[in-house]
Amino acid sequence: MMELKNISLKYDDLQILKNFNISFQKNIINCIVGPSGVGKTTIANIIAQLIVPDEGKIIGLENISCSYVFQEPRLIDWYSIYDNIDFVLKDVYNAEKRKRIVNDYIDLVELSEYKDYKPSSLSGGMAQRVSIARAFAYPSDLLIMDEPFKALDIKLKNELLSSFIKLLSKRQRTVIFITHDINEAVYLSDTIYMLKYNPAKIVKIFKNVQESDKSMVEKNLKKMYFY
Amino acid sequence: MKIFITQSKYKKIFIMLFWILVWEIAALIINRDIYLPTPISTIKTLYDIIFIKETYITILYSTYRTILGFLLSCFLGILLGYFCGLNQFIHDLFKPLINVTRTIPIMSIIIIALFWFRGTNVPVFVTFLMCFPIIWTSTVTAIKNTDKGLLQMCKIYKINGFRVLKSIYLYSSLPHLRSGMISTLGIGWKVTSAAEVLSLPKYAIGSQLYDSKVYLDINGLFAWTIIIIILSFLFEMMLVKIFDNLSY
Repeated sequence: MMELKNISLKYDDLQILKNFNISFQKNIINCIVGPSGVGKTTIANIIAQLIVPDEGKIIGLENISCSYVFQEPRLIDWYSIYDNIDFVLKDVYNAEKRKRIVNDYIDLVELSEYKDYKPSSLSGGMAQRVSIARAFAYPSDLLIMDEPFKALDIKLKNELLSSFIKLLSKRQRTVIFITHDINEAVYLSDTIYMLKYNPAKIVKIFKNVQESDKSMVEKNLKKMYFY
Repeated sequence: MKIFITQSKYKKIFIMLFWILVWEIAALIINRDIYLPTPISTIKTLYDIIFIKETYITILYSTYRTILGFLLSCFLGILLGYFCGLNQFIHDLFKPLINVTRTIPIMSIIIIALFWFRGTNVPVFVTFLMCFPIIWTSTVTAIKNTDKGLLQMCKIYKINGFRVLKSIYLYSSLPHLRSGMISTLGIGWKVTSAAEVLSLPKYAIGSQLYDSKVYLDINGLFAWTIIIIILSFLFEMMLVKIFDNLSY
């Protein structure tokens, strides 16, 4: 179990989170759904320890290795696709193992032909695929994905979703997936946390989504999202 | 003719010839060698100078002073700039010193340096002091403008500090350093010869300029000035080449 307890956070005068509590189950896909501006990215950044909250406790995240797919690819422009993935593995594996892993993951996201290209010569979707491959190639216990399919068209989104499922089957890990897209959430997640209001509150938790009636879950989520 | 001068290779030659022609006409109108020598008499003097062995020793020494001052300012400017870019307190601590250095008149620095150092070290020190704030500023700006997203990425993947410095900060600061260092090198040549004029080391382009003044040798003055311009241009080209090889 990973848990955020009584978290409060203020940006200037804006109270983003107040006594916020959430707990995630291990080794499943936990999804946070909510309208833009509700504080989803802030929660992700607190979990990733990129932001320190004003108050509250974070439990079960000590000594955990984490990888993160950001909204933008965040690739190093002066390195090739291969070197971008290799970069995060350098302190983890020896050269030989790294070579195998990097090539494996580049294959999995179907970018082998482009592995020597610089990020600037890739399309947005391809760059995001590299970012996903990097996150999966890194041996993390926790994977955070913050709207990774945001600025992409439907075709690319579907391609990435299938890459994602393929990659996830290679190694079990806890995923925290953030989105404002209800279809995406229902398609991928095991547990969905519906967030609303400012400061953010969990209005409903849907468990075992993949085993439940998905269209029902989707309907309920949409109802809550819009009203 | 139109096609001829628009081709870039010939265009440069044409532009150069045009300005030499303007110089020639101006010299003919003034018609006093002591105010403005003609290009031809300047080139003649230049031709005489380049066959003297001491010219090369002079050039070597002046180059040594300029490059040493420049390299010192780069080394310390980049080193201190990195720390100041990373830590706001260190930045605020050094900012007044840099601001003062930036505003001291060059002549004051040269005269102060004359009290402190022997002849040959004066130009080195002055060049260092003139170039240092520019390099420092470029470095600080570069560090502060480093992509925060990439730094967060490094934090997530627990990349060690040295590799963050090398792979993220260094590369992303190259464009800033490039423009800072190129403008600094040009300033370095000007400052070194100015400091040499006042400190008069044995072998120095500045000392040659001073002699030209004393002996009213305007042709010599122009010839040595052309040498400085050529040297400055050559070293700038070299620096650009180095940066082209480094950049991605």
